[in-house]
Amino acid sequence: MEKEQKHVAVIGAGIAGLHTANLLAQSGHKVTILEKEKYPGGHLNQWHHLFPDHSSPEWIISGLLDEQLQFDHLKMISSTEITSIEKNNGHFAINAGNELRIYADAVVISTGFKLFDARQKEEYGYGLFKNVITSADLEQSLKSGQPLTTASGKTPSRVAFIHCIGSRDAKCGNTYCSKVCCITGVKQALEISEMLPETEIFCFYMDLRLYGSKFDDLYLQAQKKHKIQFIRGRLSEAAETHDKRLQIKAEDTLSGRPLRMEVDMIVLLAGMEKNEAHQMFSSTKLLELDEHGFFKSKNIQLTRNETTQPGIFIAGTCICPMSVNETIENAGAASILVNRYLEHQQLTNHHE
Amino acid sequence: MQHIETLIKEKLNSDIRFVEGLNACMNCGICTAICPAAEFYDYDPRTMLTIVQSGNLQKIRELLESDTIWYCGQCMSCKTRCPRHNCPGLVISVLRKISQETGAFTQSRMGRQQYLLRKGLGNALLNIGYSLHPSFIKPADHPEQGPVWQWIFENASEIYKTVGANLDEEGPGVLRKIDKEAMTEFRAIFEETGCLELFRLIDQYSSIKALELGITNEANQPDMDQYLHFIENEQETSY
Repeated sequence: MEKEQKHVAVIGAGIAGLHTANLLAQSGHKVTILEKEKYPGGHLNQWHHLFPDHSSPEWIISGLLDEQLQFDHLKMISSTEITSIEKNNGHFAINAGNELRIYADAVVISTGFKLFDARQKEEYGYGLFKNVITSADLEQSLKSGQPLTTASGKTPSRVAFIHCIGSRDAKCGNTYCSKVCCITGVKQALEISEMLPETEIFCFYMDLRLYGSKFDDLYLQAQKKHKIQFIRGRLSEAAETHDKRLQIKAEDTLSGRPLRMEVDMIVLLAGMEKNEAHQMFSSTKLLELDEHGFFKSKNIQLTRNETTQPGIFIAGTCICPMSVNETIENAGAASILVNRYLEHQQLTNHHE
Repeated sequence: MQHIETLIKEKLNSDIRFVEGLNACMNCGICTAICPAAEFYDYDPRTMLTIVQSGNLQKIRELLESDTIWYCGQCMSCKTRCPRHNCPGLVISVLRKISQETGAFTQSRMGRQQYLLRKGLGNALLNIGYSLHPSFIKPADHPEQGPVWQWIFENASEIYKTVGANLDEEGPGVLRKIDKEAMTEFRAIFEETGCLELFRLIDQYSSIKALELGITNEANQPDMDQYLHFIENEQETSY
């Protein structure tokens, strides 16, 4: 029997979407990627280097895009935002801007995450004090190739990294761990130390969750070679001094003493949040969200990439916070489940 | 001994401030970081909460008998920061109440000062409706107020008028005389909420402590004036 070509719509052209789309195209399916931005790549476009190997994310995006070129049956439509998805008789109709309507046999959602808006933690002064930046701002600064300076152009003599911004914090509604910020902080601390060897660097953490392969090696390197200080305590606040430095307050919980310190720069390690796009899917009752607003998997153990709606799949950080390599692995897993679903659909159709 | 510890456990679990104030502490230290008292005293709200969270009744009992629970200024800054919605300040207020109810407060210097507060602020509240009143600040006892205080003290009725207050007069305004009806209602609230009972317990346990310390009069009864003088001048010994 001859296979009828199926059509899969992939929503979001970050690395999860690009990789899933390539794998599905390779399996012979017709694939359409929809991207709301002008360019594919998502958050990684703003990132300088990846942990743990300090590699550039550019080659990942360009690699995935190069791979696309070999598939005639894969196309990408950018600058297009989805307005609704309907399901009829097991098939999907996707409506986007410009009166675009796409029909698909299966849908993969790979809409990614939203970076936590650090202004919500007013006590740390992001958006108020110029020398308070986020981990994402720091990546952009590093990517620019310019030496890191304070707002007034001076080389910082002291930099403090603050962990868990928008994570593990009931005050901002995010009680979960974003899991990649710890290692991002260690990686960035190392990069600043390489660039500015005279600069003293402090990391204020609650728990260092360095779960990944080679993550602890970076931690060791940071302490041993770069003398980066790790202080176990959550910051209560940052205040600007008259000379635009920043005074921070914390408890050094391992010695049980309150601590005050002046630094030139603060880097807030902002966590990952649900994307606003999630609301559109849940408001039409098409999909369920979990308690943190990420997409709910059909089964968290076995079928992480299946949603509660047959035919709609999820990949990457729209499920939960993930690192780049986990996202790539996750996208691979998603493509297998989509394949299985489409094959099953084909068999069922033949029997009918 | 066992009985007291069971009682402490019961009292803790039946107080809404404890139930709401301690969810689950992950020891991040943000409460100590923002705590004004922790900057001045050898005091760490995080450690206090960890002890209570441990459920170790022997250790909790030691807390009730220590200076620790009396350093908190009840500003509740800790509540504004805790990422787990705990409130060490609320937990402390429960520990204080249990310390008052069981007499544990007489075992520490800071705790013994409860009697001073009960006599000073407590009596003032019950008598005139204010815990503090300008007339209490006698120039001779408060040189830190500076020489101008003597003049303000002597010309109070005229001076307070110039800043819009209504010192000891009938009618509305700051520092007005609290009328009879309000005072009756006020005392009823103190009775109804168990505050007067706590006052009574503080008096009773303080008398016992005075006896224990041998602060007695000729009739071998506790001399509470002398006891007040004693706790007022007690020196720090804890650290």
